[in-house]
Amino acid sequence: MLLRDPFTKSLHDARRSLLGWTVAIVAVGAMYASFWPTMQSPEMTKAMQAYPEGLLEAFNYSDLTSAAGYLGSAVYGLLIPLLVAVFAIAAGTRAVAGDEEAGTLDLVLAHPVGRTRLALLRFAAVAVGIVTVAVLLGLAMVALSGPAGFDGIGVGGFAAMTLHLALFGLAFAALAFAVGAATGRRAVALAAGAGVAVVGYLANSVFPQVEGLTWAREISPFHWYLGGSPLVDGVQPVGALLLLGTTALLVAAGTAAFTRRDLAV
Amino acid sequence: MAEPAIHTEGLVKTYGRNRGLTGLDLRVERGEVYGFLGPNGAGKSTTIRLLLDLIRPTAGRISVLGAEPRRDGVALRRRIGYLAGDFVVDGRQTARELLTYLGNLRGGVPRARIDELAARLDLDLDRRIRGLSKGNRQKVGVVQAFMHDPELLILDEPTSGLDPFLQHEFLAMVREARADGRTVFMSSHVMSEVQQTADRVGIIRDGRLVTVARVEELRERAVRKVEITFAEPVGQAEFAALPGVSEVSVTGTVLRCRLDGRADALVKAAAGHTVVGLLSEEPDLEELFFGYYSREEATSAAA
Repeated sequence: MLLRDPFTKSLHDARRSLLGWTVAIVAVGAMYASFWPTMQSPEMTKAMQAYPEGLLEAFNYSDLTSAAGYLGSAVYGLLIPLLVAVFAIAAGTRAVAGDEEAGTLDLVLAHPVGRTRLALLRFAAVAVGIVTVAVLLGLAMVALSGPAGFDGIGVGGFAAMTLHLALFGLAFAALAFAVGAATGRRAVALAAGAGVAVVGYLANSVFPQVEGLTWAREISPFHWYLGGSPLVDGVQPVGALLLLGTTALLVAAGTAAFTRRDLAV
Repeated sequence: MAEPAIHTEGLVKTYGRNRGLTGLDLRVERGEVYGFLGPNGAGKSTTIRLLLDLIRPTAGRISVLGAEPRRDGVALRRRIGYLAGDFVVDGRQTARELLTYLGNLRGGVPRARIDELAARLDLDLDRRIRGLSKGNRQKVGVVQAFMHDPELLILDEPTSGLDPFLQHEFLAMVREARADGRTVFMSSHVMSEVQQTADRVGIIRDGRLVTVARVEELRERAVRKVEITFAEPVGQAEFAALPGVSEVSVTGTVLRCRLDGRADALVKAAAGHTVVGLLSEEPDLEELFFGYYSREEATSAAA
């Protein structure tokens, strides 16, 4: 029964949005992936060589000559993480701050539900949504790998990439959730999520091109997510643990702040 | 004697620009209907949100049904039903979905109970809440507050936006709750909303309790207009001298006057004549209620 507790209720309420995001993200991923056969033509290689290297790097287009390089750049390197981040930030914001600003949180918390329990169950529902999107995208890629000719990437590579993508989404959801839970303000949570996404992206792809700023990459969630090519070399423990640790820390801090403050009217 | 249903001592809440509460001492006994009156912004909703642990006090103590909202909030709220004046919920769900969910948060409320209350209030449970009128939406709120038969009902401006039929039904439900031994704490900014059901009223102003009175006493103290029709013309002087009687006017056999307080002297004087008809208006407690305000204002202006 989907109306049993705040966890299942959140999934129930998010069902349409989750379906929409899943379809969109899988469709974009599948579309880009199916371009791969055409990317292998000599004309395309020449065309890509005409672009300045810095520009390609800014778009995470590092290596377009192998299937893994192309997927890691065009699919998992740019559009997909950005879409997942937007989805995660929106869902994380909605979990507490969105509900509070809509004036609908009072009623639930006037019921016998603890704030810690409510916050954690709602984040768990957000997490389920993010994992679902990442897994379905991964399955679509595995299904396409035969027809599109993704040579050199095994199911293990896709599994590792899927894990990294899910952790990446969780970290952004946790950020928006934590800021929203601590402040109760929707706009602040969205701004924090969007701000970190933009700065994190630049820190991974643009700042390192400047001499003396290469360290910036190390503190970017995009680097924790993409660094070390999980698609080829499997799960990268440092990156994965940094994403997971950040998520845990943010969820704990946000929930703690939420239990201590006044609810907004 | 059992612990009071609600007991606050020196309750202070300051936040932002709002003064909130400045030292509220409130005592609501078990089994009574308590009207919590005050103008908008006096601190009624702040008090209620403190009782439910939605906000936390700056200073002072709160005890609800013998428990502390801050420490035993979850167990305590199981025993409370709460209705806000502006009942806002996500409109995409049906009333039944919402009520089932809220019932489940309380450990489950039988479907038959929800159906019974909905039928009583004439509420269609299978329509989306977004498509309901304000009055119908408020009915959903009434159902969720009453459906688990809570020991304590906390109702924040409950009848705002209800049509007369629903107001009548709602007040009947409040009376039934009291008859079952439940406690009802009901806030309002108009006396007429609570005077029909409340045993006592507390008046809050600028974050503290100005006065508490039994509604019966208020009625006794209240000024009412009385019209007595006699068989034969009577003398004005005989009645004008009576205690509590003023503005006496006699037109033929009809005497009109204002009566302040008990009716005893007037009735006994009238009994010396043949009384054909007696009309006494329901006392205007509103007037008395605002009397407190203006007196308060006069004192604070003088200070």
